[in-house]
Amino acid sequence: MKARRVKGLDPDAMLADNAEQIVRVRLDELCGFMPTAADPAEVVALHDMRIAAKRLRYILEVTGPCFGPYARTATKLVKDVQDLLGEIHDCDVQIPETAAFAEGLLAADAAALHVAAGAAEDLDPALLKQAPHAREHAGLAVLQAHLRARRLLLFDRFLELWADLERKGFRARLEYAAGERADVFNEPQR
Amino acid sequence: MAKAQDIDVAPDEPYRLAAARIVRMRTGELFESADGVLDTRDIERVHDMRVATRRLRAVLEIFAPCFPQSEFKGVLSDVKQLADALGERRDPDVHIDALQSFAKALLAANKPGVVRLVEDMRARQTRGNEVLAAALERTHERGLHERLLALADAADAEDEAA
Repeated sequence: MKARRVKGLDPDAMLADNAEQIVRVRLDELCGFMPTAADPAEVVALHDMRIAAKRLRYILEVTGPCFGPYARTATKLVKDVQDLLGEIHDCDVQIPETAAFAEGLLAADAAALHVAAGAAEDLDPALLKQAPHAREHAGLAVLQAHLRARRLLLFDRFLELWADLERKGFRARLEYAAGERADVFNEPQR
Repeated sequence: MAKAQDIDVAPDEPYRLAAARIVRMRTGELFESADGVLDTRDIERVHDMRVATRRLRAVLEIFAPCFPQSEFKGVLSDVKQLADALGERRDPDVHIDALQSFAKALLAANKPGVVRLVEDMRARQTRGNEVLAAALERTHERGLHERLLALADAADAEDEAA
């Protein structure tokens, strides 16, 4: 996902004033994915929302100490969102990859059994013992069930986390903090 | 995981000067993390370098307007290519680790399929390591380290000229 351009940045102006503009745009990008990303089938929106969370997290990690105290809290919350969306994305990548791998083994077994059957009228079930991957299908089926269940569970956690952020006024509080200026060096953030 | 150096920032610091200082710091961290990165026995090294690349890429994007654009675009593109190559190695590393943990919880009858998938991932890891080796070589040949430091110097010089 291409980041939205932040207009009006001035290299000769203060760091905090430029960073504030970036934070506002990145926060708007992140929040803009809801409610679309509340649909579990919206895999692309969820992936893009993770990228948006990462961008917001990084600007906060670098420039958060310029702002009001809530910026530090927000940095952690955004990292939580990014991490959770990252876990969901891993499932979205691994589910089709595992399915394709399992399908490849099934196809290889079918081809091998076809050869083993030779000119037989029908396939003898006893030949199944000769299938090269006969012992491997069960584990892959269990793995696919695990990945799908984990994806469902993680998505539930994501909806809960986002609802909690909204309940606690995450967006408004971060916007307010971005308009504040720290008086002195805060304890450094990473 | 390698800890990034703390960054002290002041709200009234000029954007351009912060850019030069922070890019130098993150550049140093990236190239310090490159040792032993092709050793597949220690997957944390690739992870550390990938994280360092992400941090560097992030600060380059945050401070983009502070750098000469002609040089900046090429440098950012090279950092992205390095990050992609690190991902080619890191993704199978993570997948193998997760599958091995998962296999521990399985009944014996279910283990062979997962072991077979781990073998497939090992082959992917080897290919990823080859991609990473080529990317590291290209990074060296293209003088990315020096070009990053030159970008920081250019931001400093612009500030002095202003």
